Amino acid sequence: MRTAFWMAAILSNLGAHLGADIMAGKVALDLSVQPLKEDVFKEAKEEVVTLMAQPMVAPRPATTLTPEIRVRAVHDGHWIAFLLTWADTERSEAGRLGEFSDAVALEFPVKEEPLPPIFMGTKDMPVHLLHWRAQYQRDREKGPPEMKDLYPNMNPDMYPMDFKDQGKLQGISEEMREVYSHGKAAGNPQSYRKESAVDEIFAEGFGSSSIIHNPQSHGEGRWSDGRWAVVLARPLALVNGSVLVPGQPGHIGLAVWQGGQDEVGARKCVTMSWITLLMAGE
Amino acid sequence: MPKVKNWQIGREMEYPYEGQRPKRQWAIVFDLNKCIACQTCTLACKTTWTSGQGQEYMFWNNVETKPYGGYPLGWDVRILEKLGRQDWEKNAPLEGKTVFEAAAPTERALHFFPKDEDWMYPNNGEDDCAGRVEGGCHIKDLPHDRWFFYLPRTCAHCTYPACLAACPRKAIYKRAEDGIVLIDQSRCKGYGECVRACPYKKSMYNPATRVSEKCVGCYPAVEQGLQPMCVQNCIGKIRIMGFISPPWTARADNPVDYLVHKKGIALPYYPQLGLEPNIYYIPPVHAPREYLAQMFGPQADDAVKRYLELRQDPIAQGLLVLMGSTDCILHSFKVADGLASGYDEKGGEIVQVPVVEPLHARAAYDEKLATVRTNTP
Ligand code: SF4
Ligand code: SF4
Ligand code: SF4
Repeated sequence: MRTAFWMAAILSNLGAHLGADIMAGKVALDLSVQPLKEDVFKEAKEEVVTLMAQPMVAPRPATTLTPEIRVRAVHDGHWIAFLLTWADTERSEAGRLGEFSDAVALEFPVKEEPLPPIFMGTKDMPVHLLHWRAQYQRDREKGPPEMKDLYPNMNPDMYPMDFKDQGKLQGISEEMREVYSHGKAAGNPQSYRKESAVDEIFAEGFGSSSIIHNPQSHGEGRWSDGRWAVVLARPLALVNGSVLVPGQPGHIGLAVWQGGQDEVGARKCVTMSWITLLMAGE
Repeated sequence: MPKVKNWQIGREMEYPYEGQRPKRQWAIVFDLNKCIACQTCTLACKTTWTSGQGQEYMFWNNVETKPYGGYPLGWDVRILEKLGRQDWEKNAPLEGKTVFEAAAPTERALHFFPKDEDWMYPNNGEDDCAGRVEGGCHIKDLPHDRWFFYLPRTCAHCTYPACLAACPRKAIYKRAEDGIVLIDQSRCKGYGECVRACPYKKSMYNPATRVSEKCVGCYPAVEQGLQPMCVQNCIGKIRIMGFISPPWTARADNPVDYLVHKKGIALPYYPQLGLEPNIYYIPPVHAPREYLAQMFGPQADDAVKRYLELRQDPIAQGLLVLMGSTDCILHSFKVADGLASGYDEKGGEIVQVPVVEPLHARAAYDEKLATVRTNTP
């Protein structure tokens, strides 16, 4: 049994990715705990994964800003956690126009056979993404920036439905105010405070991604000395999504955005092929 | 890359998506000889659409002072500089490249990314060329004659929008029923690609909702047969909104078709960029022709000449007085017996105005009432 597993891993590895596999060893810990300490990865082997400027669709970056990302993984039989670290000289959380957030994404095929195209999957061959943004983490910790945080010297007269002394206009609800906030009025998750630093996203090709409500995953990033270290954790079996099984190989893809260098959306550095994830058995 | 037909530049051009003309195309014509920069249009739009948080500096309609004013700062100069010299002979197809054709392989459209600060000067004293009377003109030593004109701008709901082409989330769409270009407020993730790519800089970022926004063409009004707020409220009566046809299906009784195609006095602005923008301008007659050619293409000179001859054309005159005479969209018009009439889609009359208002001249001194009168034409 064990031999067959390794053979399968090696074969799929040959077809999928040039470079080392990522080994997710089993740990006797509860990885669903938030936030996860980085020392849960102390026994895990670190692999260096090569990234390239996203080459498929414009607009795309002209140069590779993040040539590599370091990856460690562990699982506890129910959850899997990844430690992702990469060099980024500045910490960017987005805010005003033209300020974008640092971010990282982990991509999983929803079905292993056949593997979907690594670049965001395709019709009927979806991928499941965990997308961590520094901006979302800031939201969770401090709330989204107010206009007066972004523009301390700005002096607006007043906003609609926003009176200090409401007088006869008592009973103005948040909903009535939101009519004047187009993103909120349309129910865009981007316009509300993010309660989690991680979005779970479903995609069937470029430009098709949509956010999954009630995500199960969680994550936490820490920037110091010119490097991000982000821990991402997910249940092995995501509802209606990717399922990883101990003892069987899975696959991952990675993407990194350096917001301070105007990377956002399709302007990102990515893995060019699926990387095999070797899941230690029970 | 697919090829699409752009009549404004007289040739086919590259565009990231297949060409698909809407059933009809929203359009506004502005007579720049009459705009007084009262900014009533700007405020009509602002109070209707952009009074919320994150929209403090957002003006979907703005009026700037040419040649030096701009919102955002220097938008026109900067995209023209990026594009460099491109040749275009009169009555010939554009020889040069459009922003789509000149784009690097990594981009959808040639562009510049305006900075946040660039949006903070919406016509703040741009036309203020003099101090106190005794101080005289404070703009001295210009290398050219002194002139300026006002340029009111909305989104051009382009036939080939660069904003739509650049959005990797496909969150921007052009409506088949009226050609209005909208950003899906529930899909946009605020990547700002449209803000970068639109050469007219009519897609704007809202840092409070963290998504991009733009002029919606007042679609709820348009759906009810009404002209947009910035058009309805124009004090100078310089605007008319309607539906433009491509030249091969133009109708002489359609007000917009008449001004653009039949009469050739209204021109698209910066057509050389290749978006087939759908706001059209009657160029200001007093501005240097070289400047007008740069802004409106090689037909600008002829458009000015034809405009100056309008006194001999009662039909065109009639149409110009229909501008600003009704809140409703005019689908057709007729000028006969000194009266200009505008009609709705079914041919029902909406409005009728005299081409020349009756003139009553009264004696300066009224003997009966023993009072002095002032005549106001
Ligand atoms: S309301 Fe009319 S006249 Fe006044 S600035 Fe706007 S376009 Fe010009
Ligand atoms: S003017 Fe700009 S924002 Fe408006 S449709 Fe054209 S490209 Fe898009
Ligand atoms: S058409 Fe409507 S949304 Fe667009 S600029 Fe005019 S008033 Fe504003």
